[in-house]
Amino acid sequence: MTDHQPKGLPAPLRFLAKPLPLLPVGTILSLAVRRLAARRPGVFDRIGPYRTCRFRIAPVDLDFDFLLVPDGTRARVDTIPRRARVASDVEIGGPLVDLLGLLDGTLDGDALFFTRTITVRGRTDAVVALRNAIEDAELKPADLLGLTGRLGTTADAVILKAIALLRRLATEPSGRESADPPGGSSPSITPFGSRS
Amino acid sequence: MSLELVCPAGTPSALRAAVEAGAHSVYCGFRDETNARNFPGLNFSPDELVDGIRFAHRHGAKVLVAINTFVRAGHPTAWIKALANAEGAGADAVILADIALLDHAKRHHPSLRLHLSVQAAAATPEAIQFYAEAFDVKRVVLPRVLSVEEIAALAKEITVETEAFVFGGLCPMAEGRCSLSSYATGKSPNLTGVCSPPEHVTYTDDAEGTTAKLARFTIERFGAGEPAGYPTLCKGRFIAEGKTGHWFEDPVSLNAAELIRPLAKAGVTALKIEGRQRGKGYVAEVVAAFRAAVDAIAAGRDDPDTAKRLAGLTEGGKQTAGAYKKTWR
Repeated sequence: MTDHQPKGLPAPLRFLAKPLPLLPVGTILSLAVRRLAARRPGVFDRIGPYRTCRFRIAPVDLDFDFLLVPDGTRARVDTIPRRARVASDVEIGGPLVDLLGLLDGTLDGDALFFTRTITVRGRTDAVVALRNAIEDAELKPADLLGLTGRLGTTADAVILKAIALLRRLATEPSGRESADPPGGSSPSITPFGSRS
Repeated sequence: MSLELVCPAGTPSALRAAVEAGAHSVYCGFRDETNARNFPGLNFSPDELVDGIRFAHRHGAKVLVAINTFVRAGHPTAWIKALANAEGAGADAVILADIALLDHAKRHHPSLRLHLSVQAAAATPEAIQFYAEAFDVKRVVLPRVLSVEEIAALAKEITVETEAFVFGGLCPMAEGRCSLSSYATGKSPNLTGVCSPPEHVTYTDDAEGTTAKLARFTIERFGAGEPAGYPTLCKGRFIAEGKTGHWFEDPVSLNAAELIRPLAKAGVTALKIEGRQRGKGYVAEVVAAFRAAVDAIAAGRDDPDTAKRLAGLTEGGKQTAGAYKKTWR
């Protein structure tokens, strides 16, 4: 057995993230997911019957969670306080940078699960369907923002650099809140958007 | 001659990742019970297969379509349709296990190249030659129960190509372990195409850690931070006669990277990477590592430490050469 604890955001960044639930983050994300569904319905087809499930996404290094219902153009995202008792079908927990890595395909979900970096509770079939749909979607930030052309390319570059910086801050010793998972840092795989 | 690297793709994006990482061939299946990785959100629609094959061919890679479950008695339509869709999409080969489906393919799709799936568990010259002579099978995917020496001896006695697993799941299949999942869940890995169906898998936490269950069976308890494995009964940890252990199978990954040269010498044609249920990140990393190793060995160089490179992607953080080195003998 090992003393595994997930990596986390540095304390200053956690502090900066605290007021996010006061902003209309849920509304913005809901609109973004609905826009994505209108442009790329195939992504949501792959989720199949699980698109009406309630997925609680719980970054361990934030004070709030996200509740996602990926129901295509009727999708909804809400922010909820960390310990709030809200009914959900699924809960996926882990450090924010690792959850972002799953979203953009930088990290392998199974490898993160094997090393216990992420945890899964509830309907495993719904988790598997969502993960496979996200895997195939090859999402870029511009997809969620609804940006195309040069603007989309620029947005991708800026946001991805920011995420990479976040990942470095979360893994560097000075910014580390806790230890690496057993066997070293999280399994990093391909650079996001390497094919684009 | 260089070994052919056969790589998994559970989704179109994984197919592209495999091809771009250097796969010579990619294997995939349709989004139904006709293939042995029938998980939610996974696999290809017929249209996606057409696009995937077009992409692969444009990059000089082949696509092999796994239609490798056993046909449900009295309901062959899905399997027959899958064969027609695979041929229509331009598949380079289909990977089959069911004798009736092999027979149908030979009669109705004579130009389709047939590979024998590992699900058929053909491990003797007699069995393999039967499939070769009866159905004109061109290649056999070997069950993961043979040593390198046994493969070398086998290869001398058969007239078809051989494909050997080199990385990923160890599933022997031949000796009935899959029946554990069927017994627990009512769904068969070999018929329905799904081992440990995720709708039957649950994880619960308490003060001592996490408990994994398959249907009503507790199959594993992990302490906090203890590496986890796939929630399959065959890899469960049980107490028997006062001792706790993985009595059916250890939760480890096969990694035969160091055996590429011996496998080539044994007459193996193709090396297969398991993992259609894994993400494109896994696919890209494993394929790139094995392609580098295959190329290095073909050029007379040493293996570039592939096993170490892939350690982070193994199940439970552990790897083994499995039956290729029968160290227990």
